[in-house]
Amino acid sequence: MLPAALFLAAFVLWPLARFVYDSFFEISPFAGSARTFVGFDNYVAAFTSEAFTSASVRTLVYTLFVVAMEFVLGLAVALLFTALGRRSTVFRTLFMYPLMIAPVVAGLLWRFLLIDNFGIVNELLFRAGLLASPDQIQWLSNPNLALFSVAIPDIWLTTSFITLVLFAGLQNIPGEVIEAARIDGARYPRILLSIIIPLLRPVIAVALIVRGIDAARAFDVILIQTDGGPQGSTTTLSLLIYRTMTRFGEPGLASAMGTVYLLAMLAVSIVAILLIWRPGAGER
Amino acid sequence: MNPLETRGPARILLWTALALALLLYGFPFLHLLLTSFKTPLEAIAVPPNVLPSVWTLENYVSALTRQGVDAALINSVVTALISTALSLVFAVPAAYAITRFRTPSGRVFILAALVTRMVPTIAVGAPLVEVMRNLGLTDTSFGLALAHTTISLPLSIWLMASFFEAVPDELSEAAQVDGCSRLQAMTRVVLPVVSGGLAVTAIFAFLASWNEFLFSLLLTSVRAQTTPVVIANFQSQFGLDWGGMTALAAVYSVPVIILTLFLQRHIVAGLTMGAVKG
Repeated sequence: MLPAALFLAAFVLWPLARFVYDSFFEISPFAGSARTFVGFDNYVAAFTSEAFTSASVRTLVYTLFVVAMEFVLGLAVALLFTALGRRSTVFRTLFMYPLMIAPVVAGLLWRFLLIDNFGIVNELLFRAGLLASPDQIQWLSNPNLALFSVAIPDIWLTTSFITLVLFAGLQNIPGEVIEAARIDGARYPRILLSIIIPLLRPVIAVALIVRGIDAARAFDVILIQTDGGPQGSTTTLSLLIYRTMTRFGEPGLASAMGTVYLLAMLAVSIVAILLIWRPGAGER
Repeated sequence: MNPLETRGPARILLWTALALALLLYGFPFLHLLLTSFKTPLEAIAVPPNVLPSVWTLENYVSALTRQGVDAALINSVVTALISTALSLVFAVPAAYAITRFRTPSGRVFILAALVTRMVPTIAVGAPLVEVMRNLGLTDTSFGLALAHTTISLPLSIWLMASFFEAVPDELSEAAQVDGCSRLQAMTRVVLPVVSGGLAVTAIFAFLASWNEFLFSLLLTSVRAQTTPVVIANFQSQFGLDWGGMTALAAVYSVPVIILTLFLQRHIVAGLTMGAVKG
């Protein structure tokens, strides 16, 4: 246990401490030049900057959208697999394949599928008669739509994860409960809402938290598709911090933004862990 | 049988729904594969075709002979292998100690390891640039593998702990009664029992490094650059070569997809572990 702890201390904790420490300095981007202690100035600058607040809102919207879509789609597919029983095993395996694909590849792939003039998605929608012209929907260049479009590859990549977890959870629901409800005359939607979802609650919570944290950290998928554009409409916190650090050359300010982001993520995760680690789940 | 399983004619409807869902879900990657076999010009044709009019390997040849691509593929393999080895070397003893001795510090540690998963990558990646510079590991595969291990190690500890948990204590106790040392009991008796779990953990560690992007972007430039960064730079570097990009993406993704489909039973166990038991 000690070597692993030392490793994590050296390569996670120590860098993190440096990161937080940097947030109190004004640092010139050129290596070796002077740094000035500025107290909480970077934090003031972060909170008063429009870029930071709107990136926070975008991160939140992006995360909620990804998690909500994945939950609805993932649960639907998990229920479908359960309804089909054992003969769906092969398809369950096939359904899993995007999990192995690099986010960079997924981002580029979807950019290729959604690109305005020769994207296949618009072309197929056009051929199916759903669109009046193949460039009607500007998936990635309409600032009002882009934040949702860049989320598509993320949803495509990891809905399988939610499905797998929920499917495993569904197998553990005692059959008698559902039989009993059925004998009492309950129909499927009612069984779903009053029995299945409440019984799956802990599993759903874990799945959504794991995915929510990953979605809130999404970086490569967005960078690859829009690089934060158009008009900054897909600049989430990860991208903003990355840019503030590398392109705008303000590591101090970037560290302050990152620290706020880090604290928010930790607070959410700790609350989430405490909620899941309720009494009775403590044997692990 | 699960009572949620549906019988009767409704099944046909469900199978149709499943076929539709799979088609929608499979189409993006299928389109990528099909595009990779088109000519470079047809790959960006307006309007796009679904099937290639001429099947050709042109894109593969051009993508793989681009400068730096072969080196990047080798770097990806080397980095992922080093990182997998590091993860296992650190995770196996840690997970074993946590599950065997069940001390409070062990529980705190495994929770702390879980929390590191929630840290934004950039908050670790940016300061790691300087750490690597101080260690003289900038732009080396080993340095990058160390960084990747920060991602895979917590996951590996978590997974290995769940696998060790399933092995009864009596097994190692019996081995010790028979004269094994504690270390021998672990390496000779317990580890072979969890070899399946070891394989799953190794695959997850490998994939974590194989698919990682931000650390590679920050910590490498020329010598140690891995393929995801090259794929990302493909357009700015080589112009609008969508055909070549799809070919390289296919080369990079298909082997891991095939590998994991073969090992799917174990992988499903790994993916759902913890989430369901937790």
